[in-house]
Amino acid sequence: MTGEKDTIVHIDNITKRFGNVVAVDRLDMKIVAGEFVTFLGPSGCGKSTTLRMLGGFETPDEGRIVLDGVDVTRQPPNRRDVNMVFQDYALFPHMSVGQNVSFGLELKGQSRPEIERRMTELLDFLQLSGFRDRTPDQLSGGQRQRVALARALAPDPKLLLLDEPLGALDAKLRGQVQIELKDIQKRTGKTFFFVTHDQEEALTMSDRIVVMNAGRVEQAGTPEDLYFRPESRFVAEFIGETNLINGTVRGIDDDRVVIDWNGLDIRGSGHGHRPGEGDNVTASLRLENVVCHPKKPSRENAIEGRIVSKLFKGSRTSLDIRVGEKEDTVIRAYMDAGNAAQISDDQLWISWEPERLTVLRD
Amino acid sequence: MTRNTRILMSVIYWAFIVYLFVPLALMVTMGFKDSKFIGFPIRSWTLDWYTAVIQDTEVLSVFGYSMTIAISTTILSLIIGTWIAVFLGPNKFRGKAIIFALACLPAVIPGIISAIALRIFARLIDIEPGMFAIILGHTVHNVPFVALVVMARLSTQPKSHIEAARDLGADSIVAFFRVTLPYLKPALIGAGIFCMLLSFDDFVRAFFLGGYQPTLPVLIFAKLRSGMSPEINAISTIVLIMTAILGLWAERSMRRLNKGS
Amino acid sequence: MAHADTDRADLRKSTAPGGRMTFWGALLHNGTYQAVASALFKTQRRQFLILASLPLFWIFFANLGPIVEMFWIGFLDSYPPKVGHEPQFTLANWAAFFQDQVFIVPFFRTLAFSFIFTAITLLITYPVAYFLAKHVKRKNQLLFLLLLLIPFWVGEIVRTYAIMILLGNNGAVNLALKSLGLIERPIPFMYTGFSLGVGIIYLTALYMLLPLYSALEKLPDNYLEAAADLGAGAWTRFRRITLPLSKEGIASGCTLVFLISTGYYATPVLLGGPRSTVFAETIAGFFHVAGDQWPMGAAFSSIMLIATLGVTGLFLKLMGRDGKGMMR
Repeated sequence: MTGEKDTIVHIDNITKRFGNVVAVDRLDMKIVAGEFVTFLGPSGCGKSTTLRMLGGFETPDEGRIVLDGVDVTRQPPNRRDVNMVFQDYALFPHMSVGQNVSFGLELKGQSRPEIERRMTELLDFLQLSGFRDRTPDQLSGGQRQRVALARALAPDPKLLLLDEPLGALDAKLRGQVQIELKDIQKRTGKTFFFVTHDQEEALTMSDRIVVMNAGRVEQAGTPEDLYFRPESRFVAEFIGETNLINGTVRGIDDDRVVIDWNGLDIRGSGHGHRPGEGDNVTASLRLENVVCHPKKPSRENAIEGRIVSKLFKGSRTSLDIRVGEKEDTVIRAYMDAGNAAQISDDQLWISWEPERLTVLRD
Repeated sequence: MTRNTRILMSVIYWAFIVYLFVPLALMVTMGFKDSKFIGFPIRSWTLDWYTAVIQDTEVLSVFGYSMTIAISTTILSLIIGTWIAVFLGPNKFRGKAIIFALACLPAVIPGIISAIALRIFARLIDIEPGMFAIILGHTVHNVPFVALVVMARLSTQPKSHIEAARDLGADSIVAFFRVTLPYLKPALIGAGIFCMLLSFDDFVRAFFLGGYQPTLPVLIFAKLRSGMSPEINAISTIVLIMTAILGLWAERSMRRLNKGS
Repeated sequence: MAHADTDRADLRKSTAPGGRMTFWGALLHNGTYQAVASALFKTQRRQFLILASLPLFWIFFANLGPIVEMFWIGFLDSYPPKVGHEPQFTLANWAAFFQDQVFIVPFFRTLAFSFIFTAITLLITYPVAYFLAKHVKRKNQLLFLLLLLIPFWVGEIVRTYAIMILLGNNGAVNLALKSLGLIERPIPFMYTGFSLGVGIIYLTALYMLLPLYSALEKLPDNYLEAAADLGAGAWTRFRRITLPLSKEGIASGCTLVFLISTGYYATPVLLGGPRSTVFAETIAGFFHVAGDQWPMGAAFSSIMLIATLGVTGLFLKLMGRDGKGMMR
């Protein structure tokens, strides 16, 4: 656990309402200095509202925001030591790249030589040196994003906010920029507060992810935590692809949970969560954890099933496999496209490691 | 649309152009007539009227007077009109629709009534008929146009620009002068030139609010009342050339700037 | 408000040593500016009030003020005030209008003229606007429009004069007719309702053209194509699609032209005659005589304002639109 003095932002029980809608509901968490934290969730979950409250563009109805020991809850954006990279970059069209980047420094009261030095430093750092005199309309999407980043980093803020900044980039560029951003964050050591609805993005870049839904935190943790040990149905479904299995608990043996799934006995893991016998539970099984066998394998946890649908996706094929008699006993799995092509009939065996079937906390 | 209709439409357009330009062309030609009387046919030609006009100190001083008024009212109208646009544009408040309607009022009142009302008003607030009264009258008339043009431009500014400025340390004043105002530049130039033209061309307000010194339209009107003469044509032609250049230049800069942003 | 002090202290601390700040940096850190700004912008509400101050003052004082004054003066018995005489409230000025033909005739004549001129302007300019919007390639539209605008920049006096040269007894039209052998003696066009009409239509054509063009330009081409596809002929397409959808432009254009044409003073004086006196001249007459006639002029102006705005409002209501939305 991190000590109190590592905390750079304490979001202290903030609530924000818009009319009758509660956009953020008693959000309480601490952000550690130097971490890359991502708020992830669908539109309307409250992540952008939280971002704007941190930036000073909205004021919480209840609670406080404490930045490096100072209560900044009611501080307007221009007084706050926080800077933001906007979704549309918001570069000033009539100013050059250099002037854009210098803007915050000017207003901070830096001397001209100092402004020049720092601006050049940042342009070099983000590989924008040759673009200094260009105007935003002469730049590509990726370049504009870097200028927005340089501009926000220039005043050396305590916290950097990023509002879905990769949304406007095409998929290939996005992947590249994700790596670059992560790298920049590590090298500058700045605390990044990132907001996105793209779970893959969150998994790639974050030190810590906070999943939000309808104003509340669903789960917070490292990407691995969230991916392998989702606690709720929402998180399991939102991150990665998964099979959701509803059944009744037959029995518990250490950490192993035996679930009656429409007549089938399957084994999963509670990961510290101990449901009672007879409880209705939902368990999550990620698609890539299901292993397909053309013939009955020698392991114990295998079930026979019939392929009901096949979808060719290029590098792999997704298969829907019915394992029981009832309608909703279908498991989706991936198979290497080459191997999938070799399956002649629709009989198949599937198996998985019991740890991979996670019983959810719902 | 059939070809015939297309041709017909084209003819109508060009006929209309002819209709607009011919009277002006005739007026220009008459300025070269070597005679004191206006009328066709023109038998001999001369440049004397033009040379006389250019050297006529009275005409030149009237010209300067009109210009001074035009520039003054343009500056005032731009400031007031922009302020109104910034006030009305993004904000929502009760009674906004009424305030907006009242702001546009001078644009819908028939000219003579506006001039009369302003004349009475000037008397009331103890302003003598003269340059200041005319400037006031022109400004009252111009401000709604400026406000509308600026409001239109302002509505296209992404909100994030202002937020970004504030995020980087700007208060409302700095954000306005360093981000909003540059963004408004095309609108301001267009509106500004429009104000200059409106003021320069205005007759009815200048007539009722003016003192002994006339503006150019008032001068031409007075001369016409005492009888037509090619001298008037020469003056008018010069005005025509000037306003055409001014107007075209305005259009060009507006187009170019609007493309840039 | 302990935080206010912390804020200001932070700002000052970040000033780097050596070298001058830029203008805006220096301004933001200037003590006087900070004091004034924080006082003015302390709350959102205060900021809003300051923003509203000049506009509201201007709108009420400069826009509304003269109109209200004009109405007010119309009810006084003398203005400018005479020495030793308190202006009394009276309805005599308004009554005078209704009692004398000399006043009523020009009034209704003005309204009638304006109606007619507006209608004619609409008929003349609609095809031109249509041509511009539908038959000219988009990239050329600007050029064609510019050509139309040039004659309008020169101002009403010069353009009225041009019409005088056109229609005079020795004018171009008469010259042309004579040289074609169609007439022996010149036709006296000038100083009639006809010459006035030609002048006013000439002056106001643009105010009808621009709204029409704007409305027609917005009409999606595929509406007409779909209609043609369904079997509608050219006239039907026009009547049932183009015309209704350009209603907004027609309303704006007609309103503008009507209001502007009732407001002209110089053009009727120069082009019209004693049989075509318009109300603007009647009103103006009261202001060239120094002294007591101002209240009557004010009253008549008020009557004319009510009439023109009333007619316009009625017209817009009939066209099914709210008057305020017109100013687009």
